[in-house]
Amino acid sequence: MFKDLDPILHSQLRLAVMSLLISVKEAEFIFLKEKTNATAGNLSVQIQKLKEAGYIDVIKQFKDNYPQTICKITTTGIRAFEEYVKNLQSYLTQK
Amino acid sequence: MENEEKLSQQDSLRLITMMINKAKESYHDTGIGAIMWGAVIAVCSLVRLSEVHFDYQLPFDIYLLTLVAIIPQIFISIKEKKERKVTSYDDPYLDYIWLGFGITIFLLIHISNNIFGEWGSWANEYRNVTGKQAPFRFGEYVSPLFLMLYGLPTFITGAACKFKPMLWGGIFCWICCIVAVYTAVKIDLLLTAASAVLAWLVPGVVMEKEYRLYKKEQAQLNV
Repeated sequence: MFKDLDPILHSQLRLAVMSLLISVKEAEFIFLKEKTNATAGNLSVQIQKLKEAGYIDVIKQFKDNYPQTICKITTTGIRAFEEYVKNLQSYLTQK
Repeated sequence: MENEEKLSQQDSLRLITMMINKAKESYHDTGIGAIMWGAVIAVCSLVRLSEVHFDYQLPFDIYLLTLVAIIPQIFISIKEKKERKVTSYDDPYLDYIWLGFGITIFLLIHISNNIFGEWGSWANEYRNVTGKQAPFRFGEYVSPLFLMLYGLPTFITGAACKFKPMLWGGIFCWICCIVAVYTAVKIDLLLTAASAVLAWLVPGVVMEKEYRLYKKEQAQLNV
């Protein structure tokens, strides 16, 4: 029996953000924007959704008088990502 | 990247792999610190070698240059930290390893200076009484101790960052450490200079080149 894939993660941009964040300790918003080639608006919306799901922490602060947004994956996020990959693998091996 | 595109299972796995690789490729050290320290240690060792070989003494200890080099290093570290858009899991550990290395080096300098002070007077007395040089020369064993320490953080950084020039540089320091135990002070100083060049200066130049290339690629992507 296949488990449903997490709808929060099964979206291109949110999955890309989570894959980047799982590999690093923390990353700036600008880094995520550069790597995903997404627009700032779209990326903000998707980051907000991940934050509401408790998958990432978003820290807003100032650096040299400019606003800076730092994103960090949470333990819940790591668990959800691992579960997502496990389910994905079970889909592919059963095919 | 649009969010609403339908994802197949294969697409998802491909996307995860691509993003993880992109994250891995984004770690780029400027290499400036490594270049500076490689050059400073090599210059100090070679100047000391010339002092020993040509039998002269500078009015100051050339190794004081290492203390002066701490000032630009602080500025380099602050600048690099400011420019860093992403922090890897290894970054804080590597920072602590290099900080610990710096502290250990200065402790070793302090200890060896104290031993020199105590042992020097004993060696002079031995020479006055017997008319011969003391059979044990502490100075012969100082360089291997430093080379042993140089190898440790260099090897760990090279292994953690999967950066072969530094990994081999660390191993080279340890090989020089073993050799320096059996060689005279002049050769020890030459080995120290060679280690500084191969463990820091050369990897630093490679890092700096890679960093410049990465910056150029990023600038082209953002046009």
